[in-house]
Amino acid sequence: MSKGTLASAAILAVAAIAATAATKSPGRGLAAGARTAALRFAPEQGGAPQPSTTQMVLKRKAPVSSEVLKVKLPHPQEADLPNGLHLMVLEDHRLPQVTFQIIIPGAGGYFDPAGQVGLATYAASMMREGTTTRTSPQISETLETIAASLNVTASLSGMSASMSGSALTEDFDKLMELAADVLLNPGFDAGEWDRFKARTRAGLVQQRANPGFLAAETFNRVVFGAHPASRVAPTAASLDAITREGLAAFYRAHYVPDHAVAAFAGDISLAGARQLIDARLAGWKKAGAAMPTVTDPPPMGVPKVSLVARPGSVQTTLYVGTQSMRRTDPDYAALSVVNRVLGGTMGRLFRHLREEKGYTYGIGSAFSATLYRGSWTSSTSVRTEVTEAALTDLLAEIAELRDTPVPDSELADAKRAIVGSFARDLENPQQVLGYYLDNWTYRLPADYWDTYPARVMAVTAEQAQAAARKYWAPDRLRIVAVGDATKITDTLKKQGELDVFDADGKRLQ
Amino acid sequence: MTISLRRLAAGLCAAFTGLGLAAAPVRKIQFTDTRLKNGLRVIISEDHAAPVFSIAVSYNVGSRDERKGRTGFAHLFEHMMFKGSENVGQNEHPYLMFMNGGTMNGTTNKDRTLYYETLPANQLDLALFLEADRMRSLAITKDNLDNQRNAVQEERRLSVDNQPYGRTFEALEDLAYENFAYEHSVIGSMADLSAASVDDVTAFFKTYYAPNNAVVGIVGDLDAKATLAKVQKYFEAIPKQPSPPAVDMTEPPQTEERRMTLEDPLARLPRIDIAYKVPPGSSPDTDPLSVLATILSGGRSSRFYESIVRQKQLAPSASASSDETRGPGLFNVAATAAPGKTLAELEAAIDAEIARVKTGPIEAWEIEKARTAAKRSLVTSLGSSLSRATLLAENALFYDQPDRINTQAENIAKVSAADVQRVARQYLVKTGRTVVLTVPKPAAARGGL
Repeated sequence: MSKGTLASAAILAVAAIAATAATKSPGRGLAAGARTAALRFAPEQGGAPQPSTTQMVLKRKAPVSSEVLKVKLPHPQEADLPNGLHLMVLEDHRLPQVTFQIIIPGAGGYFDPAGQVGLATYAASMMREGTTTRTSPQISETLETIAASLNVTASLSGMSASMSGSALTEDFDKLMELAADVLLNPGFDAGEWDRFKARTRAGLVQQRANPGFLAAETFNRVVFGAHPASRVAPTAASLDAITREGLAAFYRAHYVPDHAVAAFAGDISLAGARQLIDARLAGWKKAGAAMPTVTDPPPMGVPKVSLVARPGSVQTTLYVGTQSMRRTDPDYAALSVVNRVLGGTMGRLFRHLREEKGYTYGIGSAFSATLYRGSWTSSTSVRTEVTEAALTDLLAEIAELRDTPVPDSELADAKRAIVGSFARDLENPQQVLGYYLDNWTYRLPADYWDTYPARVMAVTAEQAQAAARKYWAPDRLRIVAVGDATKITDTLKKQGELDVFDADGKRLQ
Repeated sequence: MTISLRRLAAGLCAAFTGLGLAAAPVRKIQFTDTRLKNGLRVIISEDHAAPVFSIAVSYNVGSRDERKGRTGFAHLFEHMMFKGSENVGQNEHPYLMFMNGGTMNGTTNKDRTLYYETLPANQLDLALFLEADRMRSLAITKDNLDNQRNAVQEERRLSVDNQPYGRTFEALEDLAYENFAYEHSVIGSMADLSAASVDDVTAFFKTYYAPNNAVVGIVGDLDAKATLAKVQKYFEAIPKQPSPPAVDMTEPPQTEERRMTLEDPLARLPRIDIAYKVPPGSSPDTDPLSVLATILSGGRSSRFYESIVRQKQLAPSASASSDETRGPGLFNVAATAAPGKTLAELEAAIDAEIARVKTGPIEAWEIEKARTAAKRSLVTSLGSSLSRATLLAENALFYDQPDRINTQAENIAKVSAADVQRVARQYLVKTGRTVVLTVPKPAAARGGL
């Protein structure tokens, strides 16, 4: 067990559970053949204004290179196949391994019928539980003997299912043979489904002990209402309502190549990938399915405060957030920048609520933006005694960004943090491919990532403030707390009308 | 400044055909290994694949060096390392890192304290300057100490006190070890964290944060020779200190099973944790123990998963892992009982699988699985400059073998089924184990809200 200085993403991002499909915040990525150039910033020397905080002092004696490596991400090679499948390959021979991902729009939990929340998620999970010719243990044994991975997943709120896997180059063909069998011939065996349900039931119980889960569940319900975006976990009742026949029917209707993409990164060429698909996925035929569509969540209801009573808690887990935007919204860069100022690593929330006040180990904010409006959340866990002070300060930090333009130097730092991190993405081809999968999913222009740094750098203090005013308006913010209700109920009542739930999600008052 | 990236092999390799490629050996990691005049060990490895580099500074101090009444101190101290030094302001280090496209953190375990950064290639001087300045001249103040004490106490609440099973692991180590070095947790107790003083910080810094008590690993898009010159420029004037006292890691032999039951008001399902004593990471038995853990619980083809999770449905998951620590380690087994199942059933099933691995056949594919997993993990570490910088520094610090990064997969490949059975019989014995049962405190006792 090891302990660190900054909260890890896993600890901090209770938001990860809440995040709907995918905000790929700049910070992933690779590439052979990438090029870098320089973007020069005015050097900031002594005398430059400091970001406001009492626990940070910039002596500016350290030798900082004032140039920011402007990284041009390598582009994948692409092709369209006759069955509708789009092929993307990011060729990179630095390491003897290959990663692939097949994304199938229409097969995500967004399309679950009423009363069967979890159908798409479970259909995806069950695909690995045996094919018409291989048992579940046979698949596991084959995969793990070659140290390969193969997973099929579909989130409860997303519009797509995703099959992904990786293997050493020498074993990649074997992996694709298995992947094709899983994709084309899943068995949905009744005995395996019973076993799967038993395992899943235990997880449904266990997750209710986790304060981050409870906060995300309530937050999403408050922000998204009954829209599919609200789904965080299925219930025991919906699990019971799903049958193996239902899984098989969902699979048949939705796992079609018509609008899907197959993406490869690593030690493989476009021709090699094409050859593999022709050899292994020839049986995946066009179904004539229409492109699935989604709608935005409805506007949020009247502002309320929610409390989930978790007896025994020594901390209060706080979420303050709202609906955000679609991925293609013109405000995306501006919200990214102002969010970086507020809740990015070493941003204002961290400097003020952790470093100055010592309320918490970790705090931050993040947003998701997809084909439909996602969410923006700031989140933290604080010791019970300081719940009121921490919530007040958190709201004050958000208000400050609405009311006052970000000082030039702090704004420049936030933009440089976003743009500068692209260099690190070049270590990992899979991450760069992720950017281009975003291009495909959200139909972004081909040069989107080439021009993204310039768009970030162009965000002005006025635009950042306008984004804060628009998205973080007081009547748009929703507050959710998970903790010891006997100690924090009065505090929360001061913030507005209060709904109280127990840890099983049942309304108490 | 323009950095041209090498087009590594792109277009030079034959197109991948997807058919019957022979297994290629994984390339060796090349590095230089130098000791500066003040005793600082510096390991540098060039890799021009991406315009970044990582630096890992591993100090030879962990919670095992703490004394009674000061548990959690090594980690609390780690937090102090971000609060400034002679030429660096409070929190300026992390601020400069993140605002220049980098990432960084510090992390403490029983055996060492590690600080690391990954940055764009043009910020090498920045990283070296910041690491050297705090090694030379940490700003030790009461204000900084009180401030980080709060953050660490919240970290304890977040990761231990407010989590289901949060106290289980502490209880397990407390019961399993008799030697104080490993008996207490890294995060430490609230009372000890409150008791830490500025004098403690000053003494700890002088004793442990000396150049001769650290290893620096640097990997990435840099020139090894020029980088070493820079390291000398920034670090070599930092004075050497007397070697810190050696830690007595002697653990008396365990002669009978230790067992306790813990009530947990935050847990919903009962859980069993079993810890068997195993030798330090430097032992030749470490690799067979690692293969044993893979056979028992590595992935879904593992024995625990197939039998306990899938067939008997006693638990949603069951894990086994073997510590690789500088002192005596633990082979940890953990599982949560599925609703309606008892810990007694679960324990019996775990014991049955452990008995079976000792006496029954081990399949060839199970050994092959451990071999390929080690190879894959090596390839993965080749894709991350940070992973290599960390491994090079730690292997030098712990074993005086930075090259272990290159030999680990080969050594795992040499492990036979007979080796695995031998270590299972030797170490996975009831008289050498500690069992902690965590049971949910009944809902009635939790109080209404």
